[in-house]
Amino acid sequence: MGEKRERYQNRIELLQGTLDLLILQTLQWGSQHGYGISVAIRNRSGELLQVDTGSLYPALHRLEKQKWIKAEWKISENKQRAKFYQLTAAGKKQLTRERSKWSQLSDAIAGVLQPEE
Amino acid sequence: MSFWRRKKREAEIEEELRSHLKLSAQDRLEQGEKKEEAEHAARRDFGNMELVKEVTRDVWGWRWLRDVADDARYGMRMLLKNPGFAIVAVLSLALGIGATTAMFSVVYGVLVNPYPYANSDRMVHLVAHDATGNRRYINLTGPQLQQLRQASCIESSAAMEGLDLTTTEGDLPENVLTVYLTSNTFIHFGVPPLMGRGLVPSDAPEGQDPENVAVLGYQFWQRHYGGDPDIVGKNIQLAHKSYSIVGVVRPRFTWGDGEVYLPLRVTADPRRAYFPMIRLKPGLTHAAANAELQSLLEQFAKQTPTHFPEHFRLAIEGLNDHFVADIGGTLYLLLSAVALLLLIGCGNVSILLLARGTARQHELAVRSAIGAESSRILRQLLTEALMLSFTGAIVGVALANSLVKLIVNWLPEFSFPHEAAININLPVLFFSVGLALLTGIVFGISPALQSSRPDVAQVMQSSTRKMTAGVRGRRTHSVLIASQIALTLLLLAAAGVAMQGFVRMMRVNLGYDPHNAMSVGIPVRDNSYTTWEARRAYFNQLLQKVGAMPDVVSAGISTNATPPNNGWEQRFEISGKPAAEQQRARINFISPEYFSVLHIPLLQGRIWDESETMHGAKLALINQTLATEYFPNGGAIGSQIRVPELKGEPPFQLAVEGSNSWFEVIGIVGNARDDGLRNPVKPAVFLPYTISMPAWTQLLVRTRVPPLKILRAVREQIHTVDPDQQASRNIRDLDGWITGQPEWEQGHLVATLFAGFAILALALAATGLYSVISYAVTQRTNEFGIRMALGARRKDVQLMVLRSAAMSVAGGVLIGVVLTIMLNRILARWIQGSSLDALILAGVVLLLVATAGLSCFIPARRASSVDPIVALRYE
Repeated sequence: MGEKRERYQNRIELLQGTLDLLILQTLQWGSQHGYGISVAIRNRSGELLQVDTGSLYPALHRLEKQKWIKAEWKISENKQRAKFYQLTAAGKKQLTRERSKWSQLSDAIAGVLQPEE
Repeated sequence: MSFWRRKKREAEIEEELRSHLKLSAQDRLEQGEKKEEAEHAARRDFGNMELVKEVTRDVWGWRWLRDVADDARYGMRMLLKNPGFAIVAVLSLALGIGATTAMFSVVYGVLVNPYPYANSDRMVHLVAHDATGNRRYINLTGPQLQQLRQASCIESSAAMEGLDLTTTEGDLPENVLTVYLTSNTFIHFGVPPLMGRGLVPSDAPEGQDPENVAVLGYQFWQRHYGGDPDIVGKNIQLAHKSYSIVGVVRPRFTWGDGEVYLPLRVTADPRRAYFPMIRLKPGLTHAAANAELQSLLEQFAKQTPTHFPEHFRLAIEGLNDHFVADIGGTLYLLLSAVALLLLIGCGNVSILLLARGTARQHELAVRSAIGAESSRILRQLLTEALMLSFTGAIVGVALANSLVKLIVNWLPEFSFPHEAAININLPVLFFSVGLALLTGIVFGISPALQSSRPDVAQVMQSSTRKMTAGVRGRRTHSVLIASQIALTLLLLAAAGVAMQGFVRMMRVNLGYDPHNAMSVGIPVRDNSYTTWEARRAYFNQLLQKVGAMPDVVSAGISTNATPPNNGWEQRFEISGKPAAEQQRARINFISPEYFSVLHIPLLQGRIWDESETMHGAKLALINQTLATEYFPNGGAIGSQIRVPELKGEPPFQLAVEGSNSWFEVIGIVGNARDDGLRNPVKPAVFLPYTISMPAWTQLLVRTRVPPLKILRAVREQIHTVDPDQQASRNIRDLDGWITGQPEWEQGHLVATLFAGFAILALALAATGLYSVISYAVTQRTNEFGIRMALGARRKDVQLMVLRSAAMSVAGGVLIGVVLTIMLNRILARWIQGSSLDALILAGVVLLLVATAGLSCFIPARRASSVDPIVALRYE
């Protein structure tokens, strides 16, 4: 019980819009299903970023509707039928845009946070 | 997004989320967790499946649609659970929407979109008004038409002439209403024919006889040829001449009510005048056209004075102007009546919804407590209201369909354009859908607003659902009931006025006896019996033949004198008295038997005899009105009168020598209606029919049997005199002439419809009142039980119930009476010949109060017959 609560407290609320960036980035490494995406984000963030299904799936469908990713039903490594998402050409461009936006943002924040010398 | 694609997408989302669960569980299994634990943990980590599904679906933007579908499904369930409520509500709306739709389709057909012709809004009739305001359509000769066409305000013009021809194809000659049209007419009207072709310029080459081609009217094609699809190319015999049928017009092309259209040869004969059809250039007002054409027509009047009234003023009219003046007001009045009916129906449904809203307070409070927004509940309630109104609209349109047929049958035959397509068409359906939306919101919004914000704490805490509605609810009820009562009273009063006016007209003293008499119209062919002697002899021969039939009591000739609206209104002079311009009388041309056939008494003097008739003796009879108006001190008999305009125009109008000279008055006859059923009897002069004979006469026949039974025998007798002689179509007996009067038909239409609408309104108001009281009684069963247990008598309980209704009924009656008196002027204008009197108003109030009392008394009795023990245990 105690451990769980701690983990929960350690979770970081994702900034508005950053989930899209994380999803697009995850799909950069290859097509993946929703569960796989959430596991990938969790692992690569050192268990710090836990994506809610209630945020993940609307985000996936939003990106699909925007035609930045496309979906296909396939059989997973462990013999499960799952809906795999894949970056489209437009999605790749979007990823570049989002990344540069993000680095601008993080530079800006870092600048603000830097102790004055 | 189609429904099916949406369904597919929803299933896919569901599957995707399930696969997430499975993958997650499998991961945990592989990490060594037990199967059950793994599945449980996967589900826990996943969170609320339904919620995720919903928010994911929302990405695709179906939330709105899904909510509506949910609301509709839920609403349907609620309605089916209360079939009584649903039926009463739907019927209330269906009656209102049906009646309104039916009336609107008549208004749309007659007033909004009556003509199929291209640019019909710019088509006009030439109408001249004389000094006394009488209207007269202007006919023009061939050269005048040519000149008119040059006028700068006119874009296009054509001309016509109507004539009765005969087909001699059957055993007896049959009348065919033939309209001769200039060959540009079909281009002028811009309506393509249904089959074949219309008339074209080559059908009537300039200066030559026209081709023998005919275009059939749609009705005639249907009736005479059974709608034969191969009719084009066949021949039709008209007056022994063969015409090749080249086309059939569309159903709505009914110009001149023609059965057959033939090409017209316009001649330069100054005696021959044609009816002009004119289309103005765009953007011109009638006033501008009047100003331009007045001087031209004055010039024409000098050439052909008999075709124009004296000192006339031109007032051109749009095609529909006359009909609008005739019946427009009546139709709008009826439309307002049905709108009232619809409002009353809406009131009913509002009442029912409010009552049910209170009964559903618990349900709505629960929904509200578990997080439904009030806007969501509002939408749910409005969806239910709209479902009711649309169901009502569907039933209503079905009802409207039969009502429209009824109304069209009752419309005064010549008070609306026969081109009008009066049916439930697309614009009318749009109107009904709009009406359904509007009514749904009108009756739904106030109950929905009230019920969508339930006081959760209060409702949830109270153990019983049977509470009396709050003060606010009760006040809304009272207002609704009062308005229903007021509107119903208004409708009832209008119906009373209309019926009284109609009954008064039916009871009018005619001055003649219409029973067992008929008038047989006889059109004379062109170019036959063209001398005065020949035509006189021919008419007399017809009269003798028919008069000798065994079933005929007596017969006479009435050229233009068949009552109750007869005679040719003309200026006349009395010898030795200065003649005023306004000195006018109805001039009738008759044979001496006319008075005995119609049972009109001779009051003084004598009637001319047969030999005087045959000579065209210059003798006159006058009616009592003329005698008292112009000879107040007696001395009428022996005086001399003359009609200056009474001239012949051979070969069409054959008059005796000196027909516009002096006539001696030899007798006075009793008054008989000669200006319709509503107006007072006008001064009338009767002259021998031989004085002036048009190409037309009527035989007036009194019979021993119902007259129309011997019509065929009469036609056979006419046939023996001249084998080509037909009788006119649609022969009526004299009772039929009365019921065919526009004021009779209009009175009948208004009285019947108003009575129907008023009865429906009364029924609706009674239902509304009954529902409110029954509902209140059910709500207060507990309270009544306690009161009776504590010693209240039945009468006390009954009084309590009645008192609650009495206030709103009394208020409604009061408002209704005030409203009726205020609107009386409008009513009196459109329900002609009638006005509100105290008796009608009192009767209406009594009827309404009695009905209201009855609707309250039944539930009140039920309240007082409650067994206190049962009532107290009542949940």
